[in-house]
Formats: sequence, structure tokens, C-alpha cells
Amino acid sequence: MTTDSHALVPAEHNPIAGLAHDARGGISNPVLGMLLFITSEVMFFGGLFAAYFSVRANAPQWPPEEFRETLQILPLVGPATILLILSSFTCQFAVWSIRRDDRTAFLRNMTVTVALGVTFLLMQATDYVTLGSEGLTLSSGTFGTTYYTLTGFHGAHVFGGVIMLSVVLYRGMAGQFSSRHHDAVEGASLYWHFVDVVWILLFSLLYLLPGR
Amino acid sequence: MHPLRHPRNAALVGILFVVIGVVFWAVPAFGGWHVDYAGTTMLIFLGAAMALMAYVLVAGSSKE
Amino acid sequence: MATTALTPAASAYRSGLYAWLTTTDHKKIGIMYLINSFVFFFIAGLMVLAVRAELAQPGLQFVNDSTYNELFSMHATLMIFVFIIPVLAGFANYIVPLQVGAPDMAFPRINALSFWMLPLAGVLLLLGFVTGGAAAAGWTSYPPLSEDRPLAAIGSGQDLWIVGLVLIGTSSILGAINFLVTIFKMRAPGMTLFRMPILVWTVLVTSVLVLMATPVITSALIMLFIDRNYGGAFFDPRVGGDPILYQNVFWFYSHPAVYVMVLPAMGMISEILPVFSRKPLFGYKAFVFATAGIGALGFSVWAHHMFTTGAVYLPFFSLMTFLIAVPTGVKMFNWIFTMWRGQLTLATPLLFALGFLSMFLIGGINGAFSASVPVDFALHDTYWVVAHLHYVLFGGSVFGVMAGFYFYFPKMTGRMLNETVGKLQFVLMFIGFNLTFFPMHELGLAGMPRRIADYASAAGWNDLNLLATIGGFTIAASMIPFLWNVFVSLRSGAVAGDDPWEANTLEWATSSPPPPYNFDHLPEIRSERPLFDLRHGRTAGH
Repeated sequence: MTTDSHALVPAEHNPIAGLAHDARGGISNPVLGMLLFITSEVMFFGGLFAAYFSVRANAPQWPPEEFRETLQILPLVGPATILLILSSFTCQFAVWSIRRDDRTAFLRNMTVTVALGVTFLLMQATDYVTLGSEGLTLSSGTFGTTYYTLTGFHGAHVFGGVIMLSVVLYRGMAGQFSSRHHDAVEGASLYWHFVDVVWILLFSLLYLLPGR
Repeated sequence: MHPLRHPRNAALVGILFVVIGVVFWAVPAFGGWHVDYAGTTMLIFLGAAMALMAYVLVAGSSKE
Repeated sequence: MATTALTPAASAYRSGLYAWLTTTDHKKIGIMYLINSFVFFFIAGLMVLAVRAELAQPGLQFVNDSTYNELFSMHATLMIFVFIIPVLAGFANYIVPLQVGAPDMAFPRINALSFWMLPLAGVLLLLGFVTGGAAAAGWTSYPPLSEDRPLAAIGSGQDLWIVGLVLIGTSSILGAINFLVTIFKMRAPGMTLFRMPILVWTVLVTSVLVLMATPVITSALIMLFIDRNYGGAFFDPRVGGDPILYQNVFWFYSHPAVYVMVLPAMGMISEILPVFSRKPLFGYKAFVFATAGIGALGFSVWAHHMFTTGAVYLPFFSLMTFLIAVPTGVKMFNWIFTMWRGQLTLATPLLFALGFLSMFLIGGINGAFSASVPVDFALHDTYWVVAHLHYVLFGGSVFGVMAGFYFYFPKMTGRMLNETVGKLQFVLMFIGFNLTFFPMHELGLAGMPRRIADYASAAGWNDLNLLATIGGFTIAASMIPFLWNVFVSLRSGAVAGDDPWEANTLEWATSSPPPPYNFDHLPEIRSERPLFDLRHGRTAGH
């Protein structure tokens, strides 16, 4: 389905007005499809969060005594969070660039986004190794299981997002996107923002919420 | 625009579930009996997801 | 009656194997969904014939305990996940683009992907039987039993079960996205939301349920997998986990799932009744709102499957469960008033539709009993529940599927099914079904538990069990005329033409089978019955 994205039409007071619209005035099919997929992913994380809150409420102490000091924001997780948030910004800059037909800026911003995403994953992996050496594993009771499951599935989604953005970057370098045709960019960026929002929620819950 | 066409109104069905989720937490929490955190979480997430879904479906539909 | 200039007819289906394997045409994909689903219907049916053969008399005659557990667990798993949900998705896949006047689904390649995940998943599920033991902890797979390695995982059947179900869930979710985008973005000009056929509305609500609920069971299954294979602590009380948590997350999906399993069937019934009563559907708007109401309420009742755990806020869930009877009742009345004072043609689709109405009504009534907490305390995990679930899922959904099959076979193949043979199938199936499942009400009230391979002769359950087994084999017998009908009619059934039933909706405004692009031209759409309007030269406002 071809889309006809009027990048220069002033945005109405409507959050989705900027998204690619097709000839009959709705948002384009692939973008709508991605938004719906994102809602299903919200529910997937909902199930995992439900388990987390339930398990946490049932525990006599949270974090358990042996893991009181294990989760640390520095030196890895805090900076990784900042980088991921930054990557959402660069991703959105990339979207705005291609809507303006500025392919150079689009490619530059998208490259930075992918690089930041990869860096996040590497920092996460390093953190896992550190935590493992401190005795926190998937089988470390409810605390370890929930921590690794939640962050692990988030990481898997980041990985998927990096793949998606890399494909978009590759297609962009091959000249396949313009201000009129760039559904894949819009879709991939929406997914990336979602992944970022989930991390902000996760980070707040796991690192910032006071224990019991 | 007909009220049923307004995306914000479509999102109400999701907001309703968020409200149900909050009530689901509040009644046992203040009533003093066992709180079902899993159920509460799932209901609230459902509300958020449904609100987003309903909004994009209505807002993103062709103008007919 | 609209005819199209190009009539590909049967030659469309003489296309080679390669064309079928690589197709992205929603019509071919829909047919493949149906074929795959019925294959697993027969496999799961054979499994339960073994179960019923075992239960006919006290004593273990044919299988041992663990094989019995595998049989009933896999029977239910296959029926739910590889038969009823996909067969309805298959009908929806075929019919929805035609009914909204679209050339295909929104994402044809993802449509093909959704289908092909299913035979793969089915094979994975069955593979357990040859790797040392299929899943045997019930289709619900509650921990601790499903996590108990020596017992519930003699082989890796339980893990294969988890992977198979995650695949099927993904297939469903992708399908739901496809249906929603198709319905909201690809309707023909003039077809406002309130001019869509009811089947499209039911597929819409079903897709919302699938989209929102299925990911939750995916999370439950993944947590189960982690517990089983990586020493996880979600559901294992020995390390701080909670088995009831699994039930909570599991049923948050599995309750809306039952509406996924019945709403599209109700949609097809709502197409069939007006055609065979020569009257419009009574109360179209009420029907739409009732369907939406069932979808919404369906998310608030999940813990009624857990009343006996002691971990549930009983009044809330009991009240919500009773409430669901209201929109369902609205639909019942709408269907009945559609037929009231209509000119009924008692063709096979209508017979199955009547079977649906009466059997689903019984299932709704015995469900209402279970909604009462004290009643459920006595009847939970007894044969009463087996009776209830089969009255709604077989008496309801399967009869609905059969009605839809007889109704849409001419459109899909260009041939009519034999009416006499169809009626024979209906009679055998209806009698067999009631013989099998009605006694189970009494068995449940008499205290017979579910999921037992054997029972004491002194319990007094012998006669009813034998009766149920006879009924079960009668249902099996009804499959013979069904298969005969399908294969013979495919070869030499009467040619169907575009609109053999004088129906109302757009799919009948093109050839049987339709050309790849569906329509040469579309009639003007001014109501939910565009073909009816065209035929009667009406400019029906709405």
C-alpha cells in the first residue's frame, strides 16, 4: 500500500498527525500494524510485571538479605539508561530528517541510534557478567529469576530493535527512503521508543523503587 | 465529529480498565484483605494497551 | 445476481503444489487453515476416543495412567489451539476481505507466515509422544505438576508443548493485527463501521481479545519454561515462588480465549440465520454492542476458574461472571427474533445453526450455575465442568463451524455439498453429542472428578460413562458422512454459481470461487446487506 506522507502539512492537534498518512486520510497500514504490535508487547511485559509485583509482595524481604547491595546504578546501568534515552532522541531526529527529505541527516542520526543501541546491549551484557560473579543468577530464588527475566526479555527486545534499525539503516543507505515513502522508518522508530519506555519503567522499578 | 468517531472517546474503554484495575487494588488494600497484585497489574496494563489500541484504530482510520 | 466476466472456477485450485506453498492469497491461506485444522481435529478426536474407550467401564483396559494423562492433555491442547482457534481464523481469513470488499488482507505475507507456523507447532506438540512422553499435566499445565521433572517431563514433551503454544500464540497475534488493519483501513467505499456484516464485527472483537490476551499466556509459558529449565523461582514454592501466580496469569488469557473460540462462530451464525429465514438480522446495533460487551466483560472474569484456590476476591468475579449472561442473552434473543415469522429453509447450514443455538443455550445455563461460588465449590474439577465446556465449545463452536462449512463450501469450491448426506451428518452428530455430554452433568453432580483414568465400580458411575462412550463413537461415526460429502462433492457436487443461497453480503457478489483479486466491481454499499439491496433495486438508507 503506497503512502503519501505530507511532511510539510502543519500538524493538527493530534499526536499521530505527523505519522505517514495514506491517500484516504488514515495512517499507513504498516505503521498502524506496528502500533498494534506494540500494544501486544505492552501486554507481554504486563504479564511479566504482574509476576514481579506478585512475587515481590509475597517475599518476606525485598531485596533479600544476600542481594541488598547487588543492584547498583553505577557504573553501568545508569549510564546505559542515559544512552538508551539519547538513542530515542537520535531516532526521532532521524525520522524528522527523512520526513524533510534530508537523507544525510537521516543516515547520520540512524547510525548513531544503532551504535547507541549496540552499546546499551554490551553494557547490559557486562553488567550480567558482574552480577553473575556476585552470585546473582537466574536460579537465585525469586529475586534473581525476576531480575534476569525482566531485563533479559527487555534486552531481547532491544536486540530485535537493533536488527530492525540496522535493516532500516541499510535500506536508507541504498536510497530506498524519501519524504513520501518511509513507512519502515516510522515503524522501526515507534518500536524503538516503546523499547525505551519499557526500560524507563523497568529501571525505575528495579533500581529506584524502595525495597521492603 | 460524531462522539464515537473521536479517538479520545475510543480510548475511554481502556481508561475504564485502568480504573477497574485501581479499584481491584484499592478495595482489598483498604479493606484489609489479600491484595491480588498480579491481577491488578494485568488489568492496568490491559487498560493502557487497550486505550492506545483504540486510539490508534479510530484516529488512524480512513476519513470516511 | 451479480456475475463476473472472468470465472476462474476450479482451475484456480488445480494450481500446483508450489503455488499453494508460496501463496499469499487470503483465500488459499484460509483453505489451508481449514485443512490443517481439520487434520488436527481428527487426531485430537482419535485421542479422545481412546479416552472414552478407557472410561466406558471401570478398570484400566487399554492404556496406563500416564498414557491416559497424555491423551486427555493433548486432546484438549490440540482441539483448543490447533483446531478451534485456527479454524475460525481460517474462516475469517477467507471471508473478511471479501465481506469488506477488499482485494486481500492488509499484510498478505504475514498472513502466510501466520498460517505456516501452525502445522509446525502442531508437529512440535505431537513430537512429545515420540520423545518419551507428551505433555501430561492437563492442557492447563499447572505447576507444581508441570514443573515436576520426573513426573510431567519423562521426555521433553512439556517443553515442546510450551514452544508449540508460543508459536501458535505468535501466529494468532500476527493474525489479529492483520484483521484489525484490514477491517479498519480496507473497507470498500460506503461501508461504514455500522454497515459491516456481523461476522466482521465478531472478528474485530475477537482480534482485540487475541491482541490483548495472547501475549499474557506467552509470558506465563515463558516463566514456566524458565522454571523448568533454568532453575527459575516463579512458581516453585520451595524457592519462594507461587503456583497460584501461574493460574492467575494463565487464566487472564485463557478466559478471553473462550470468547475467541466462539465469537467468530457466532458471527457465521449471524450470517446464516438471516439468509435462511429470509429476514434481516434482528437488532443489528444491539448485536454489535453485545459483542463488544462480551469482549470487555470477558477480561474481568478470569479468576472464576480459580474460585477454589482461596486466593480470589469471590464476590467480584462471581458478579462479573453472571453479568456476561446479559449480552449473551441479548444475542440469543436477536437470533431467535431473526427467525421469528421468517420463511425458514431447513437446509443443512440452518440445521447446524439451530443446533448451535440450542446447545450453546444449555452451555450458557450450566455455566450460570457454576458462576455461583458455593455451587462451583462443589462442582469444580468434576464432570459438570466437562459438560459445560463441551456444550459451549462443541455444541456452540463446532456446530457453528459446521454451519459455516456447509454455508461457505460452495463459495470456496464452486460446488454444493450434498444436502441429504449433510442432514445425516447433522442428525448423527447432534444425537451423538448429547448422548456423550448430557450424562456428564449427572456424573459431575454425583461427584465424578475430571482427569481420572479409572473409577471405582462401586461409585455408581458405570452406566453413564458407558452411555457417554457410545455417544462419543456416534460422533465419530458422524464424521464418515462428513468426509464422504466433502470428497465426493469436491469432485462431482452440483455447480454452485455466485450466490446459491440468495444471500446478503458482498462475498456472494463475485464468482465461486472468487478470482484472485476478489471483485470485478462492487455493488453500491448503503446498508449491511448490499447484495440484498442490489437484488431488490433498493436504495436502503441506514
